[in-house]
Amino acid sequence: MIRNQRRVQALLAVAALGAAGMFLGGKGWLGIDFGPVGAAVLYVALWAFVIYLAKYAGEVFPEEWSPAEKQAWVALVFVALIGFHVLNLLAALPDLGPEADRLRNSATRPFWTNLGLLIFGWIGVSSMLRKQDAGVGLDERDLRVAHAASRYADGALMLLVICLVVTLVALPEYSRTWLRPSIAANVLIALLVARALVENICTVLRYRRDRG
Amino acid sequence: MNEFSVRNRIREFRQQRAEMTQADLARACDVTRQTIIALEAEKYSPSLELAFKLARALERNLEDVFQYQEKK
Repeated sequence: MIRNQRRVQALLAVAALGAAGMFLGGKGWLGIDFGPVGAAVLYVALWAFVIYLAKYAGEVFPEEWSPAEKQAWVALVFVALIGFHVLNLLAALPDLGPEADRLRNSATRPFWTNLGLLIFGWIGVSSMLRKQDAGVGLDERDLRVAHAASRYADGALMLLVICLVVTLVALPEYSRTWLRPSIAANVLIALLVARALVENICTVLRYRRDRG
Repeated sequence: MNEFSVRNRIREFRQQRAEMTQADLARACDVTRQTIIALEAEKYSPSLELAFKLARALERNLEDVFQYQEKK
C-alpha cells in the first residue's frame, strides 16, 4: 500500500514539474521553450495518475480516510490544475491585444481542450472512488466539515473581491490598456477557482486536524 | 469559567457486544466507519439524532453512552 502511495505522490510531483515547465515555457526560460515539453509531461503524468487510481484505487488512499476526504483530495488536485491553466491563460491574454476579446483565439483553444480533459479526468476518478466506496457517501461529520470549509471559502472570496476592486481603482490610467473585457472576465473566473481551491484546502486540513 | 466536553463510552460498549466491529456500528447508524473512529477517539461530537442511533445500536441508554463532563 505504501509503495502505491509513494508512486502516486511521485506522479503528482512530476505533474507539478510539467505544469511549472508549461507556465515558464510560454515566454521561454534561458532561451529554451519548455511549453510543449511541460504540457506533455503534465498530461502523461496526469493520465498515469488516473490509470493508477483505476487499477489500485483501494491502495492509494490511507484506510482511515473517509470517502468524502478522498473526494476532497482528488478535487484539490484537479481544481489546482484548473487554476493553473486559468493563470496560464491570464498570463497569455494581454499579449494578444484585440484578438484576446475573441472567444476562440490562440490562447483559449488549448485552454478549452485542457479544461475538457481535466474535467473528464476528474469525473472519471470521482466515479471510480464512488464505486469503490459504495455505501454511505456523506454523513453528518462530512457535512459539518463541508459547511465549515464553505464558510472559510466565502470569506476568502470576499477578501479577494475587495483586493481586486482596490487594485483596479488604484491602477494608473496607462496600465489599464491591457485590461480588456475578456481579461476582466477571466479574472472573475480565476476568483471562483481560487474560492474552490480554498474550500478544498480547508476541507482536507479539517479532516487532517480531526484525525490528529 | 469551567470548560465542559462530551465524553463517550462507545468503544467500551461496542467491544462488550461480541463481534461488533466499527463497520457494523457504522452501518447500523448510517455513517462512515471513519466517523465511528472519530467518535471513539472523542475527536467529534455527534448530533442528537446520531447520539440516539448509537445508543440504540449499542442497546444502552443515551446517558450511559454519552456524558457531559468537566474538562480535566
